Amino acid sequence: MKKTLQKIYLALILILLYAPILTLVVLSFNASKTRSKWGGFTGEWYVALFQNESIMNALYTTLIIAFLSALFATILGTMAAIGLQATKKKLRSVFLTIANIPMLNAEIVTGISLMLLFLAFRMTLGFTTILLAHITFNIPYVMLSVLPKLKQTDIHTYEAAQDLGASPLYAFFKVVFPDILPGVLSGFLMAFTMSLDDFIITHFTKGPGVDTLSTKIYSEVRKGIKPEMYALSTLMFVTVLFLLVLINTAPPKKLTKEERQKQRKAVRISRTIFRKVVPAMLVIVIVAGGFFYNSKQNFANGSNRVIVYNWGEYLDPEAITMFEEETGIDVVYEEYETNEIMYPKVESGAIAYDVICPSDYMIQRMIDNDLLAKINFDNIPNIKNIGQTYMEQSRQFDANNEYSVPYCWGTVGILYNKKMVKEPIESWSVLWDEDYKDSILMQDSVRDAFGVTLKYLGYSLNSTDRDELYEAQELLIEQKPLVQAYVIDQVRDKMINNEAAIGVIYSGEAIYCQQENPDLEYVIPKEGSNIWIDSWVIPKNAQHKENAEKFINFLCRPDIALMNFEFITYSTPNTAARELIEDPAIRNSRIAFPDASELEGCETFKFLGDKNDRIYNELWRQVKSK
Amino acid sequence: MPNKLIDIKNISKSFDDNLVLDDLNLYIRENEFLTLLGPSGCGKTTLLRILGGFEKPDQGRILFQGKDITDLAPNKRQLNTVFQKYALFTHMTIAENIAFGLKIKKKSKSYIQDKIRYALKLVNLDGFENRYPDSLSGGQQQRIAIARAIVNEPKVLLLDEPLGALDLKLRQDMQYELIRLKNELGITFIYVTHDQEEALTMSDTIVVMNQGYIQQIGTPEDIYNEPQNAFVADFIGESNILPAIMVQDKLVQILGTNFPCVDTGFGKNEPVDAVIRPEDIDLVKPEDGIMEGVVTHLIFKGVHYEMEVTAHNFEWLVHSTDMFPVGTKVGIKVDPFDIQIMKKPESEDEEAAAADE
Repeated sequence: MKKTLQKIYLALILILLYAPILTLVVLSFNASKTRSKWGGFTGEWYVALFQNESIMNALYTTLIIAFLSALFATILGTMAAIGLQATKKKLRSVFLTIANIPMLNAEIVTGISLMLLFLAFRMTLGFTTILLAHITFNIPYVMLSVLPKLKQTDIHTYEAAQDLGASPLYAFFKVVFPDILPGVLSGFLMAFTMSLDDFIITHFTKGPGVDTLSTKIYSEVRKGIKPEMYALSTLMFVTVLFLLVLINTAPPKKLTKEERQKQRKAVRISRTIFRKVVPAMLVIVIVAGGFFYNSKQNFANGSNRVIVYNWGEYLDPEAITMFEEETGIDVVYEEYETNEIMYPKVESGAIAYDVICPSDYMIQRMIDNDLLAKINFDNIPNIKNIGQTYMEQSRQFDANNEYSVPYCWGTVGILYNKKMVKEPIESWSVLWDEDYKDSILMQDSVRDAFGVTLKYLGYSLNSTDRDELYEAQELLIEQKPLVQAYVIDQVRDKMINNEAAIGVIYSGEAIYCQQENPDLEYVIPKEGSNIWIDSWVIPKNAQHKENAEKFINFLCRPDIALMNFEFITYSTPNTAARELIEDPAIRNSRIAFPDASELEGCETFKFLGDKNDRIYNELWRQVKSK
Repeated sequence: MPNKLIDIKNISKSFDDNLVLDDLNLYIRENEFLTLLGPSGCGKTTLLRILGGFEKPDQGRILFQGKDITDLAPNKRQLNTVFQKYALFTHMTIAENIAFGLKIKKKSKSYIQDKIRYALKLVNLDGFENRYPDSLSGGQQQRIAIARAIVNEPKVLLLDEPLGALDLKLRQDMQYELIRLKNELGITFIYVTHDQEEALTMSDTIVVMNQGYIQQIGTPEDIYNEPQNAFVADFIGESNILPAIMVQDKLVQILGTNFPCVDTGFGKNEPVDAVIRPEDIDLVKPEDGIMEGVVTHLIFKGVHYEMEVTAHNFEWLVHSTDMFPVGTKVGIKVDPFDIQIMKKPESEDEEAAAADE
C-alpha cells in the first residue's frame, strides 16, 4: 500500500516535471499550425527547420561557441583546479567559494556585468564577447568536476614519476592526467551543456547578426510561436538530456576489479576520443560552419555593410536578400522586442547600429537625447512614395521631418468575436462590461492600458494630469476582475482559437486574425484611440550612414513596401505600394486603411519625460499588484 | 672504510611554525644500509623527502658525492624512492610501470625488455608483465615498486616505510628479501621506519630521531645495548628506566639500593638514569637478590614469561624463562655490565624528547 502510494507520488512529480516538455514534443509533430487542433502526424517542421538558413546559422554558432568555450574552460578550469589542490586548505576553500559565486549568482547579473566589462574595454559585442562570457561562466563547472578527482589521486604517483626521471609536465600528463580524465571529460561535457543551454548571458553579450539557438528561439517566438520552434526546442531538449545522461553515468568511486578493468578500457577509449575524435569533430564543425558563413556572406568583413536593428518579424527576409544582391551591401540584421529594450542598447553605444525602427514616442525621446542623425533626404528619392498625411502625422514627434521615414503605422482597437458578443461594439466601455467577465484580453503594457482608459474617459492619451491618471488607474483596478489575461502577443492566438470574446489589439494583428478566423471583427472605438507610426531612423554613431540611407530608400520602393506589407500585415504609409495591392478587399480594408473620419479622435503617443514615465509605471504596478 | 656518499649538512626545515628538522647533520657511506628510526612526526620522512628532492630545506645543504644537490629537481637526482603506499601507476601494466623510468632515459626496447625480466626475477614475480597493479597483493605491489626503482640502477634507494602496509608474516619475508637485494645490487639503502624490530634486523647503521633531532647513531647492537638517553632506551625494545645516583665509579644507587656496575667517569653523587633491559634481570630467592620484591603480574609470551615485580615502589618489567606465580617473593639481581648508565638530559629538547615518549 505504502509502496504504491510512493510510486503514485513519484509518477505525479515526474508528470508535473515533464508534461510541458511532452506537450512541446507532441506539438512538434502536429501537422496543424494552431496549437488547439491535432492535424495529424508530420515531420514537416523538422524538415523546415533544417532548411531555415538563419536557424542553421544559429545552430552552428551555438555549437562552435559551446565547443570552444567548453574547450578553453576545460583547460583553464583544470589548471585552476590543480593550482587550488596544491594550495593550503584554508586558502583553497576561500578561493573555491569565490570561484563558485558566479555559478550561484543570478545569471542576469553575470550577463549585465560581463556586458559592462566588455563595454568598459571598448570591445564590440559579438561572437568574441559571447565566447569570452561562456568561457567565464563555464570555468567553475569544470573546476567543480575536476577537483574531486584530483583529491582521489595519490600525490605520490606524481612524485614517483618525477623520481623515476620524469619532468613535472611529463609526469602530469603520463600519470596524473589519466587519473583525472573522467573528471576533465565530465567537466567538458558539463561546460558544453551549460553553454548550449545559456540564454540570458548570451542575450546580454551578443552583438548584431550573431545568434545562438536560444536567442534565436527567443527572437522567433516574440511574434507567436512557429511550429519549427517546437521542433527546434525538442531537439535542444533531447541533446541536453543526452549530454546530462552522459555526464551522470560517469563511473562511481568504488569499483570492483572487473569494473576497474572496464574503466581502464573506457579510459583508453576516451583517450582515443580526446586525441582523434574530438579534434576531428572540431575540424568538421569549423569547416562546415565556414561554408555556411561563406555561402551566406553574412560575415564578410570590410566596411560595406549595414547594421539593421528592427522589431522581430518586421521585414520580409526576402527583401534583405534582394537588397544585398542589388547593392552588394551586407545586411547584419538584429531584432528587438520592445522600444524599451532597444533604447538602452542604442544609448549605451555598445553597438553602432546603422538603422533602427523605433515607434513615434521613442523617436521623440531619441531626438530629445541627441541620439539621432539627420537624414540626408537627397539620398532617399523614394520618399515621394510616402503619403503626405503620414509625414504630417510624423511632425508630432519629429517636428521638421528631419530624422525619420515612416515605415508602418496602425491603430489600437478592439478585436471581437461576432459570435460571442450581443451587438456590434463601438465603444471602449465594453471593456468594463460585466457580461464579458473572463472573456476580455488587455494589453500588458503600461502606455497601451492607460491610453485606452484615458481615451474612454475622454482625456488625451498623453495626459500628465495627476487627477486624470488617478481616475484611469481606478478604472483599471475596477476592470481587473473582468480581465481574463494581460497579454501582448497571445491576443492573436487566443482570439483565433475562440478563447476570448474581446481583445485590445494592434490593427496589423487584426488583419492576420481575421484571415485565420472570419468571425473576428476589428473596430476603432468612437472615443478615439492610439495611432502609431514606426519609422526608420539613423543613430548618431552609425558607421555606415550612406548604406543606411540606401537601405531606407530601398524600403520605400513601392514593390518592396508591398512585399513587406504582405509579410507584416501592418498598414503601410507608402501610398504607391497601396495602389499595387491586388486584392481589393485588402486594398480598401478599413482595418488597414481606415477613413480619415475614423482617425479623428486618434493621437500618437508622445514621450512624456522620465518623471512622467515613472509615474505611469508606478500607477501601473499598483494596478497589477492589487 | 668506504667514502661518504651523501653528506647532510645543517639541514633545517619547518612547516608553518612547526619545526620538523633542526640543524641536522648526518652522512651516509657507500653500500650502507642506513635506517632512520623514530616515532611518527620525528622528521624522518621529511628528511627522506629532502633527499628525494620533494621538499626544499629552509637551511643547509645536501652533498652527493661531494656535489651540492640541494636545489636539484627530483628527476635529476641519482636516487630512487620506494613509496610507502607503492604509488604504482594503476592505469599501466606491471611491465609499463617498470619501464617508466627507462623509457624516459630513452633506452632501447631490447634493453628495457631485459631489464623488466631481470627485475621481475629479482623480486620473484616472473610472468607478471601484463598484469595490472590492482590485481596484485600488497606484498607483490611493494616488490613491483622496488623493481620499478632498481631498474634505473640508482646509487641510492630511498625507502619510505615500505613494509608498513603489510601483515606481520609478509613483513618478515620482505625484510630478508630487502637484505638479499641490497647485497646483490650493492647499492646504498636509506630506509625509514618507526618499527624498531625492522631497523634492528636489517640495518648496518641506525639513526634514532625524535622531534627533529638525532638522538643516537650507531650499529643495531650499540643502539640496543647502550642507549645514550632515555628516549632511545625506551624506543628501542622494552626497558626499565630508573632514576639513580652515581655514588662513585662502578657503583650506582638505584631506588636507595647500591648496585655494582661497570660505568666510570661520572661525577660523585651525580644524578643519572639507569637502564636495565627486562631480560637482563635475574629473579632469585629473596635472600640471594640485591633487592627484594613481589611478583604482581604474570603473562606467558611464548618464548618467555613477562612479569611485573614491585620492589621499592617501582614496577620492574622482567622477562624470564622461569615462571614465578603472582604473589611470590623474589630477589632481584642484575649483572654489573647489564646496567647502562645515562646522563640526565641536559638540553630542553632532550627533556622534551624524554617526556614525549
